Amino acid sequence: MIDFGFTLSKSSTVDLNKIDHSRYDQLVKLVPTARMCMNCGSCGATCTVSEYKGMSVRKVLYGIQRGEDVKAMLSSCMLCGKCTMVCPRGINTRNLILNLCKLYD
Amino acid sequence: MKENVVIIGGGVAGLEAAKNLHRLGYQTFLVEKNKKLGGHVAIWHKLFPDMASTKAIIKEMVDDIKDVTVFLDTQVKTIESAYGGYQIAFSNGVNVHAKAVLVASGFELFEAAKKEEYGYGIYDHVITNADLEAWMNGNKDQRIPAAPKAIGFVHCVGSRDLKAGNSQCSKVCCMTAIKQAIEMKERFPNAEVYCFYMDLRLFGKKYEDFYINAQRDFGIHFVRGRVSEVSETIDGHLQVKAEDTLIGRPLKVQLDMLVLMAGMVANNQIKPIVEQAKLEIDSDGFLKSSDNITHIIESGRDGIFYAGACTGTKTVPETVAEARAAALAIHDYISGL
Amino acid sequence: MIDRIPSGFHPFVIPFLVGMAFVLLYCFGAMIRVLYELSWQDRKKFFLSLLNPKILLKDIKDIFLNCLIHVPLWKRNKLFGYMHSSIAFGWFMIILLGHIEVLLFVPGRINLFYYPIFFNYFVAEDDVTLRGSLLFFLMDFFLLLIMSGIAIAIFRRIKNHVFGVKRMARPTFLNLVGLYSLWAIFPLRWLAESFTAHISGGSFMTIPANWLFRQFLGNELNMLPTWWAYSIALCVFMCVLPFTRYMHIPAEMLLIPMRNAGLKVRSSRKGFARVEFFSCPNCGVCIDACPMTVDNGNVKDCTVYLTRQLRRNNEERIQEISDKCLLCGKCEALCQVGVEGPGLRILERARRDYTVPFLYPAGDKKVESRKVLYFAGCMTHLTPAIGRSVEAIMKKAGIDFTWLDEQGGLCCGRPMFTAGRIAEAKAIVANMEKLILESGCDTLLVSCPICYKMFREQYNLPGVEIVNYIPFINNLINTGRIKVEKSDICYVYHDPCELGRGCGMYEEPRKLLGRSAGIAEAGHNREESICCGGSLGSLSLDFSQRENMTKAALNDLYTSNADAIATACPLCQATFARYADRPVKDIAEIVNNQIL
Repeated sequence: MIDFGFTLSKSSTVDLNKIDHSRYDQLVKLVPTARMCMNCGSCGATCTVSEYKGMSVRKVLYGIQRGEDVKAMLSSCMLCGKCTMVCPRGINTRNLILNLCKLYD
Repeated sequence: MKENVVIIGGGVAGLEAAKNLHRLGYQTFLVEKNKKLGGHVAIWHKLFPDMASTKAIIKEMVDDIKDVTVFLDTQVKTIESAYGGYQIAFSNGVNVHAKAVLVASGFELFEAAKKEEYGYGIYDHVITNADLEAWMNGNKDQRIPAAPKAIGFVHCVGSRDLKAGNSQCSKVCCMTAIKQAIEMKERFPNAEVYCFYMDLRLFGKKYEDFYINAQRDFGIHFVRGRVSEVSETIDGHLQVKAEDTLIGRPLKVQLDMLVLMAGMVANNQIKPIVEQAKLEIDSDGFLKSSDNITHIIESGRDGIFYAGACTGTKTVPETVAEARAAALAIHDYISGL
Repeated sequence: MIDRIPSGFHPFVIPFLVGMAFVLLYCFGAMIRVLYELSWQDRKKFFLSLLNPKILLKDIKDIFLNCLIHVPLWKRNKLFGYMHSSIAFGWFMIILLGHIEVLLFVPGRINLFYYPIFFNYFVAEDDVTLRGSLLFFLMDFFLLLIMSGIAIAIFRRIKNHVFGVKRMARPTFLNLVGLYSLWAIFPLRWLAESFTAHISGGSFMTIPANWLFRQFLGNELNMLPTWWAYSIALCVFMCVLPFTRYMHIPAEMLLIPMRNAGLKVRSSRKGFARVEFFSCPNCGVCIDACPMTVDNGNVKDCTVYLTRQLRRNNEERIQEISDKCLLCGKCEALCQVGVEGPGLRILERARRDYTVPFLYPAGDKKVESRKVLYFAGCMTHLTPAIGRSVEAIMKKAGIDFTWLDEQGGLCCGRPMFTAGRIAEAKAIVANMEKLILESGCDTLLVSCPICYKMFREQYNLPGVEIVNYIPFINNLINTGRIKVEKSDICYVYHDPCELGRGCGMYEEPRKLLGRSAGIAEAGHNREESICCGGSLGSLSLDFSQRENMTKAALNDLYTSNADAIATACPLCQATFARYADRPVKDIAEIVNNQIL
């Protein structure tokens, strides 16, 4: 390699063509309501642990669709169900998290 | 005088239709369940985008129907199909045989107390959009502090919310919130004003200009995140929790007052009429039109027509236009066209 | 009474012997397997209980009352109880009397296993004695009793609703074979004994039949075929028994002593659980009890189907059934044999593997309290009227009171626990225990019944009294710290699952509500209360699937014609408020508004 005196940083662009959708596809098969999120943020706002770990089901859901690692958020969930209560679209958020906790390897 | 026509509901739709039907020569009966005409618009203070006074608008509309028979504080008791029209009995004892009926029963404001997490009726400084307009019209309201330093507006209260039983967008709340935010900022220039929104739906003429004004001239803060819960601190402030979805972090802010933008829901008080006249209810709870593109004002039943928010959420100009269209449609129907 | 067949044998007893040998061997094997599956502590506990005369006596009493007399069934439905106890107790008595007959009249044959069953074929009546007549009378009496039970059973198959039990589990093919063979056994026995009655003697059922048959059928020719048929029916029933619901008969006889020994289910598949799911008689009481079966939906997700799939190891269905349940506990409360529907499902959920670990997120939180520490719980933050009412009542009563979770809560661990992540729930519990103990409080006041159940059952808080707000407020009134006045509004009280069936608290809330308002009862109340449908117990039920459950529960509350609904759970309140046509309030809010 020739040293040009600078390095190229990793592209920060989300390339939807290159993202692995398989985990999301598996998820929506198990939890069909996962598709209904409209990004309102109610779940993250009400979340018992968002204050500590920035948990938000919305971020988890969009994270996996954009190829981000959401394991740290999933690890912090206490399954208390407040997000299920407030979701205006009736997404079964607890089932979504439980299933995602199984889908990672 | 030609045939009898009954209009159910004395809001802007009913008033506008009554004026036009009367001009077309029909014996028009306008029934209103309240003691005053003007419906929801009459309790409002000013209308966007012209910031027109509702008092002047309603006064003009009421003046235009001086010669129309108006029954206030009256409801339809029974309605039944008879002799090519409808036999209608009113709660004031009057019976009318009408050739055509116009349903202009409008909407109901979503009951904000149903979203208990926002604390309407529980916390001291939580009000609705309607409460704020009433206050601007001169009504006293203990819940509004004398000099608020921080004011919040929560969009979509009871709208776009399956948990509240309403999946539809109420159409006017985004714009109303911006209008009210500007009005509050004008009254309290030192206050910080926050609008908590999911999406800003500003589709009408000059709506976007209002948004630009609110940002540029009034410095109103727009937070993209639905408020999920409200609590009250020991010193009487409101603590509001939302997620700032644009930076992806939970957000909290202390406010002196919170305005809930209660949405439009179907008017359940017309259920008996719907049952007796065998009208259809759509999946959104509003009355079902023949179709939603070219026959919104038609019920699918001969001689029964719709105008305004009884078929879905509408703005005032849309409602007025529908009312005129309905008057013409009734004229065509009676003329056998 | 003398022996008629010198050899004491006839080939028609062979089918019976085969069936009997099969069922005994199978049950013995199954018992050994279950005992092997128990942990050694449980095994020891079980064996020791059998040596304890007090427990042993209770075992015998419970087996007699539950398995033979069906006392719980009588309490639920008299006709249903009669049907089951007539067959079970009648059959037991026939076997017992058969043995007595052999002992009295042909004591030499008592070592022949089949003799008491086919007694009438092998003997001839040489002399009419009082005790003989009495025994024959009793035999015929109990046979009549059984046949009346079977007549009801057949009638029930045709006209289900007569019994108030609307739905039954759909029987499988083998269950039908078992059912029809069971129905056949007793009429066949009656026929066989009737055809033989002119030789062996008989009583009011068999002698007249013998006389009647003689008029147009003749007895001799029909004698052997009916004894054969009787024996074959017994054989068929016993051979299919292990694979049908009738396995509950032997299983329950093991379940009762195991439960009396204090055994608990530790796995959803093995040991005690196995006895439990084999003890399910498929009666279908749980189908009508289940809040999910409104409009005939989700019937196949009731506990009766869980036990069936557990027997079959149908993994896919077991998972589906376990995840769907609301864990309201009504099936368990009404179950005649005490199958722990919710408990088995939680253990089943605990079998899942999670690749993402749980890491407790809020280890650094601190709270200080001198006396009463109030834990509102997560859900109460969405129903702020409850927390504020509790706070207001405490202030008015002058209680030294601190919130544990005023600004944003922490979870008690119950939702994690019911999701089957037991170790993860224990991590939450450990952190919460530390937080509470370090606060210095002496009382933990809990208003959410979901949390309350968790604190009661899973927390170890030495020196801290855990109290639910309902008895706490009742006590404030008893001691005169607050005074309430009765309002004119009439409330119907909804028993929250976790407070009622979960913690057994039924009367305290009614007492408190009755002090501050009028009170009415729902169509189904106390242990029969219908779940609001909002329960966190269900993992897979979506919001839209719960709507008609909530509406069904509301309709049951509306039957009281009360002005408003009162409950004592934030989740019930929020769920009902969505669809209710009248106000839904928490008891704390009602009381707070009535304080003088």
